[in-house]
Amino acid sequence: MERYAGLRRTILISFDIDGTLEEGDPPGILAIDFVREAQKDGFVVGSCSDRPISAQRAMWERHGIEVDFAVSKHMLAEVKSQFSADVYYHIGDREDLDKRVAEQAGFAFLWPHEALAKPWHKASFRR
Amino acid sequence: MKTSPAPASVYRAAEGLGLWEHRGKVAAVGVGHSPTFRRWDGTPANSVGGISLEALRRAIDDAGVDPADIDGLVMDPSTTTGAFWPKGKPLPWEAINAYNRTDDPLDGITGLSAEWILANMPQLNRIEFTTYGVGCMSNAICVAAQAIGNGRAHTCLVLKSWHNLEGRYYQGGANAGNAIPGSSAIRSLWGTPACFGTAVQFAEYCRKYGKSHDMMAPFIENSRKNGLKFPEGYWAQHRPEEITPEDYEAARWIAKPANLFDNDMPIMVSAAYLFTTAERARHLKQKPVYILNHATSRTRPRSLTPTLDEVEEDTARTARKIYEGAGITADDLSFENMYDGFALFHQFHIEGLGYRGLKFGEALDFYQTDISISGPNPVSPSGGNIGCGRSRFWMHTDCIQQLQHRAGARQVTGVKPEIAVSGGPMPVGGNYMVWSATPD
Ligand SMILES: [Mg+2]
Repeated sequence: MERYAGLRRTILISFDIDGTLEEGDPPGILAIDFVREAQKDGFVVGSCSDRPISAQRAMWERHGIEVDFAVSKHMLAEVKSQFSADVYYHIGDREDLDKRVAEQAGFAFLWPHEALAKPWHKASFRR
Repeated sequence: MKTSPAPASVYRAAEGLGLWEHRGKVAAVGVGHSPTFRRWDGTPANSVGGISLEALRRAIDDAGVDPADIDGLVMDPSTTTGAFWPKGKPLPWEAINAYNRTDDPLDGITGLSAEWILANMPQLNRIEFTTYGVGCMSNAICVAAQAIGNGRAHTCLVLKSWHNLEGRYYQGGANAGNAIPGSSAIRSLWGTPACFGTAVQFAEYCRKYGKSHDMMAPFIENSRKNGLKFPEGYWAQHRPEEITPEDYEAARWIAKPANLFDNDMPIMVSAAYLFTTAERARHLKQKPVYILNHATSRTRPRSLTPTLDEVEEDTARTARKIYEGAGITADDLSFENMYDGFALFHQFHIEGLGYRGLKFGEALDFYQTDISISGPNPVSPSGGNIGCGRSRFWMHTDCIQQLQHRAGARQVTGVKPEIAVSGGPMPVGGNYMVWSATPD
């Protein structure tokens, strides 16, 4: 649950992996701790990637993060129907495979650097 | 004089040629692989030239030959199908100048000439025969085998390398232009992903034989499992991820019914083999693996992409050529290592071969049985491109290593490795070879 500006909103964030997370191939700019912190703050988090779903789950397990979902690139709409949230974000590094896919599924799209600039990412808003 | 592609006459492309005149007289005795990378990192050592030198050195060491005894080099000068240096991007001079260069500054970066190799391996100072087998290791193997048989060289390196650059594959080069030269506009499919033709054939295959895409799952799972046992492969080295049937069925379509995992992933890698005469091979370090035959398909489809009928006709014809020249039948195959990048055409190859008595339309049912390396009917024990990344050569390395009993965790145990077949790339249009643990 996000708290700022007097509002409480449920935010869902879907993370692309390759080119987006530091763990990705190629590595992106978002540290795994970004995901960890978001989850601690009550966000619904998961991955939406071209990696095999079992490999996505294994990656999260390695980092000790129990994600809410791990899906293939074309499955964002299913995520939206499964989780009730006020805002749905997908963060990714590709115009075609992230931005377009997110928008088609009714998600707001963020490039990784835009995610870093979001107020909910800043500690002052979290604590 | 610059190295040229081998003439058409060296390929065994026709039916009715009889036993290969050099059957059992040419042997593979050394294997060398470079490390793999997803993309070039800009360093000289990891450039396609750098990794090629590494693969060649390893093959020479593996065979235990003196570089001064090597008199032939057969290789492919092309090192990509879809990663081109972007127009206007500054050239990587640091990497270029780290080596002795040729007239083309991108030689060793996005392509590879025999002249570049020889300029950077001074120890290969007795090479008198160089030629190109263009497109694949499969092609280069045919050329090298025939060259040794014909006496053009007695100890020959065979090299194939691949580069990959940052950015998206197949988005540069001709694909980035607004116009295309010559008759390409009417000879090439426009606006489709690379797997489109195979997807069309596979769709027709499913319709004709009453099969479905999910029946491919055991093949994909088996291929990745085998690939993860291939220490030279990309997935084993960097991302040891299996592909479960659930993963496979949840993957997005690239060109329905071809999904993401039916496609292979471009990487940087180089492999080199050392071939010599059967006579010389006897005195070298490794157990020789003999070549019983090489065969080629040059069939041209009637239109832009072959129909299923044309595919089946040609894989059957290729099999007749393979068996005739090697003097064997399908029953003699210990295992098969036909090409798989795209996965959806592997069954065309093995049905054409009649592997384990398969007839057209039966391979997907066969995939539901034990096709593992420990069973009686190993399918693609190398793991192929699906298991190891795009190289089009894992299948050959695996045949050599299996017959030498050097395949490690991947060693087939359900069959005695005696005779194997490999080759590709396409079911219509490719080069194929038969390997044997003994010369006859
Ligand atoms: Mg990405």
